[in-house]
Amino acid sequence: MTNNILTQNDIQHVDYKDVDLLKQFINPHGRVLGRKRTGLTAKQQRAVEAAVKRARFMGLLPYIQK
Amino acid sequence: MIAEEKNTTDDREVTTRIYEIGYHVAASVKEEDVEKVVSLIRETIEKSGGSFIAEGAPSLMKLAYPMTVREGEKKIEHDRAYFGWLKFEAATESTEALENSLKLNPSIVRSIVFKTVREDTRAKMKAPQLREVKRTDTIKSTPKRAVAEEAGKAPISEEKLDKALEELTTE
Repeated sequence: MTNNILTQNDIQHVDYKDVDLLKQFINPHGRVLGRKRTGLTAKQQRAVEAAVKRARFMGLLPYIQK
Repeated sequence: MIAEEKNTTDDREVTTRIYEIGYHVAASVKEEDVEKVVSLIRETIEKSGGSFIAEGAPSLMKLAYPMTVREGEKKIEHDRAYFGWLKFEAATESTEALENSLKLNPSIVRSIVFKTVREDTRAKMKAPQLREVKRTDTIKSTPKRAVAEEAGKAPISEEKLDKALEELTTE
């Protein structure tokens, strides 16, 4: 049984504007968590990565956090 | 799974796709003029034959990091901006021109154009389910604290102090 945030909440698309959702996939330094930590499928992980990178570019998420 | 539609108009084939643009309008632009900047973007899309699907009105937000924009020889740092977005369907060839027009607009700090899907992509999170957690660090009885407070206020005899200490150590 997959037990990750996206499957639990039935989220098909990851939007870069959903900062609160994306924040659950980054660590306190702002780095994306690995698949072992997120429990996402490979496809979901790629979608999350793309969304985080878009959010960073648009200043919604930090690149690094001290 | 990106939707592609082919419309044959005249002899040429026009491929349309769903795109989304996100933009930051500089905070130095007056609040009433932000709408003018947005309508300029809309005009550019309409000119290339695009049709709108959804829109997010620009609202002032604090940026996660300061963005520097070069204006001639000067570098301007932005720490706040009006963030808005637009989802639309347009011909594949028109997006490059749109991207360039966004970059050339001095009142737009930063913008992004990317392929997306027609459906609403915003996540609808379920209310978090509260799990019952067994806590071990809870204080079971509160009156003891009251007694201790009282003891702190009034001068106490040594006997009482010994008793209280004994109570604590026996637990």
